[in-house]
Amino acid sequence: MKDSVRMAVTLMVIGIICAGVLGVVHGITAPIIEERQAQEFEAAIKEFLPQATQFEEEEIEGVAFVVGNNDAGELEGVVATVQVSGYNGTIEYNLAVDANGDILGLRIVSHEETPGIGDIIEEPEFQDQLIGKNVEDPVEIGNDVDTISGATFSTRPILLSVREVLNLIGGNFLGLEIEEEADLDLSTVEDGIYTGSAPGFSGDDIVVEVTVEGGKITKIEVIEHNDTPDVAAKAIAEMPNRIIEAQSIDVDLVSGATYSSEGIVNAVVDALSN
Amino acid sequence: MSLIKQDLTRGIIHENPTFRLLLGMCPTLAVTTLVINGLGMGLATTFVLICSNLVISAVRQLIPDRIRIPCFIMIIATFVTIAEMLLRAYQPDLYAALGVFIPLIVVNCIILGRAEAFASKNPLGRSLIDGLGYGVGFTLALLILSAVRELLGKGTLLGINIMGSAFEPMSIFGLPPGAFIALGLLLALMNVVSRKLGID
Repeated sequence: MKDSVRMAVTLMVIGIICAGVLGVVHGITAPIIEERQAQEFEAAIKEFLPQATQFEEEEIEGVAFVVGNNDAGELEGVVATVQVSGYNGTIEYNLAVDANGDILGLRIVSHEETPGIGDIIEEPEFQDQLIGKNVEDPVEIGNDVDTISGATFSTRPILLSVREVLNLIGGNFLGLEIEEEADLDLSTVEDGIYTGSAPGFSGDDIVVEVTVEGGKITKIEVIEHNDTPDVAAKAIAEMPNRIIEAQSIDVDLVSGATYSSEGIVNAVVDALSN
Repeated sequence: MSLIKQDLTRGIIHENPTFRLLLGMCPTLAVTTLVINGLGMGLATTFVLICSNLVISAVRQLIPDRIRIPCFIMIIATFVTIAEMLLRAYQPDLYAALGVFIPLIVVNCIILGRAEAFASKNPLGRSLIDGLGYGVGFTLALLILSAVRELLGKGTLLGINIMGSAFEPMSIFGLPPGAFIALGLLLALMNVVSRKLGID
């Protein structure tokens, strides 16, 4: 009894001392680290928007924007700070867009991706495909941008979020009207069986057959896919029912099979828009 | 005098963590792509090793035997975190290069090994020398390995081109398989050298 108390107390005392020491060191280093990050961000903005002299900060839908104007008060560009989940932990990056809506560049602020694999997000090999793309370009995986094979989980969330951030920038700062993802308009679809396809998780197409009767989707069948069988099976079992029940593509995706679910939704849209 | 010398050289030569004991292979193989990374990892480990040896030696009579391992780990982890925060604040480039391997110093078996085998049984001064010796031994080993890999894999040393433009870099030495190949060849070389010198 006496022994175990002594052990517990010893561990506790060591723990408290260690925590205290760490607290002190953190107190000393944290401001330096923060200041350095702020400086790096400022330098990055200068590099992206050399003509900008006045800056405003704004936050829209959880994304922080710095809007740069020149002396004449004209918009020079916008730099967004975005956080997405990568393969391991959070990836934070800056996306700079000029007044014409062209992407000036991408800057990875911090990430915890696997060294030698996911850290390709820091390399020109991945980033260059985005530079020069316009807000009105598709910026769609498999279309005009691509994930890096072997580092899909690190590169995919960045590309997907870039699209969303471009929409926010276009709509809020450049005065563009960004069309919302259109829901299905079944009234114009004649009865029949339609085939459509869209990329799934693997990047290969998921092919679906959609049956429409009396202005309603009555059946959705996945006839071809190349996604992980176990995972895709979850999406295939659930997604058709959800879409048919709602008669809409605005349904929840199957968690754990997000990309396959998304592929099915997009394939249905594809089928009915032809 | 001879005791100091013995404590110091044990970690550098006779029980060199990398070349003789093959301990702490994960950081050894992973970060030695460039000399600067090898040096950084070596120095960070040396810092942690000396500090943890000192503290553990100082408190060795206060820690009950049955919970010594968690106590050691806590002390080591504290110093690793301190090293990480210091690097991040004052050497951000090195911090970026060493990345995930800094937290892994906690589980580097050299450090726990010295705490268990030496610092927990010996006085402060000797523990300090012992930590220094093993740290220097580890750093030297990383330096040699990373020099070989950088030279063959990139044709440079510390970023300066050594091999000239005619040299075609063997990029495999910058990749994990090259780390194993280089380490294997170096181990063979070290065995030959130590046999010649009569060290065993």
